[in-house]
Amino acid sequence: MNQNLFTSFNVPVILGIPLVVLIILFPITLIMPSNKLINNRLSSLQQWLVQLTLKQMMMVHTNKGRTWSLMLLALISFIALNNLLGLTPYAFTPTTQLSMNLGMAIPLWAATVFMGLRFKTKASLAHFLPQGTPVPLIPMLIIIETISLFIQPMALAVRLTANITAGHLLMHLLGDTALTLMSIYMSSSTITIIIIILLITLELGVALIQAYVFTLLVSLYLHDNS
Amino acid sequence: MLSRVVLSATATAGPYVLGTGLILYALSKEIYVITGETITGLAVIGLYIFGIKKFGPSVAAFADKLNEQKLARLEEAKQASIKQIQDAVDMEKAQQALVQKRHYLFDVQRNNIALAMEVTYRERLHRVYKEVKNRLDYQISVQNMMRRKEQEHMINWVEKHVVQSISAQQEKETIAKCIADLKLLAKKAQAQPVM
Repeated sequence: MNQNLFTSFNVPVILGIPLVVLIILFPITLIMPSNKLINNRLSSLQQWLVQLTLKQMMMVHTNKGRTWSLMLLALISFIALNNLLGLTPYAFTPTTQLSMNLGMAIPLWAATVFMGLRFKTKASLAHFLPQGTPVPLIPMLIIIETISLFIQPMALAVRLTANITAGHLLMHLLGDTALTLMSIYMSSSTITIIIIILLITLELGVALIQAYVFTLLVSLYLHDNS
Repeated sequence: MLSRVVLSATATAGPYVLGTGLILYALSKEIYVITGETITGLAVIGLYIFGIKKFGPSVAAFADKLNEQKLARLEEAKQASIKQIQDAVDMEKAQQALVQKRHYLFDVQRNNIALAMEVTYRERLHRVYKEVKNRLDYQISVQNMMRRKEQEHMINWVEKHVVQSISAQQEKETIAKCIADLKLLAKKAQAQPVM
């Protein structure tokens, strides 16, 4: 099925129809909101998780920043579900494609920058110069701060892509290794143990969602409120 | 009989035979190729099964507890509301019963006032009596004093005149008679104890 190592990262197409739309839309079907007070166990757990993450994320914001709660919550659940679903065998993970991550990162970052520039022009421009810098260093520092500002969306997108892709690649590599080593029985058991441990740490790719949303959150906070 | 046993056995074993056959067919005809992905997939599925078996019941209990907490909160609110209304109803009933018994209060008050009035009346009556008696006692004592003074005055006047009327000669005769009587009496007295 897989000719080389990278075919699992090809966008799946059947007879010229891109299936990637369906794959991206699939995680929505796993979250079922209901009108009832008491749901089944899955819905109750989902509701509890949503409440927990929302509370943790939105506590630091003012009222204006809290208008972003739906966006941020949708972001974190989307990325988390996509990453987790990509761990199943033969699954395609949309977040491994840089195009999608850039499409998520750039608009959100630009929104925070423009919101800060529009509502608090002086404060957001003042972020370029930290307090207490010696006077001769000011021009260089402003250039450095501008560069670091413009690198933020790139960093967000590339971080997510690189982490997920690296994890998947490692899993494939180790699986192939285990297969070819099976004819030499001694090491295959250790290889499989290492695979399992790596899988457990890869599921901490879900923690990457935290990293993603938190960096976004921090930038929103800084731009918008203080 | 035997056919029924055989048929039931084949019915229960049917799906498993089909599954095994399909898997072996796919493997042998290389429809499903065993690659590295197979091992990864087996490891992932094994991990999932292990995780579910280990943490499944506790997570299910947690979810049940969440629902139960929600229900318990609402139930508590309902019970509190019911209790509040029941307490209000009981208090209203007690108030109504109290209204029925209000006449006791009025009777007691009426009796109190009657007693107080009686006491005041008697006290005033007693005071009046004492005042009147005082005045009458005064009159009586004034009369007594007047009588006594008159008596004393009369006695003094009588004595004075009697003493004035005794002349000197009468006085000497009286004294001599007294001495003679006394001597006679002395003789009689001496004669008596000897006997």
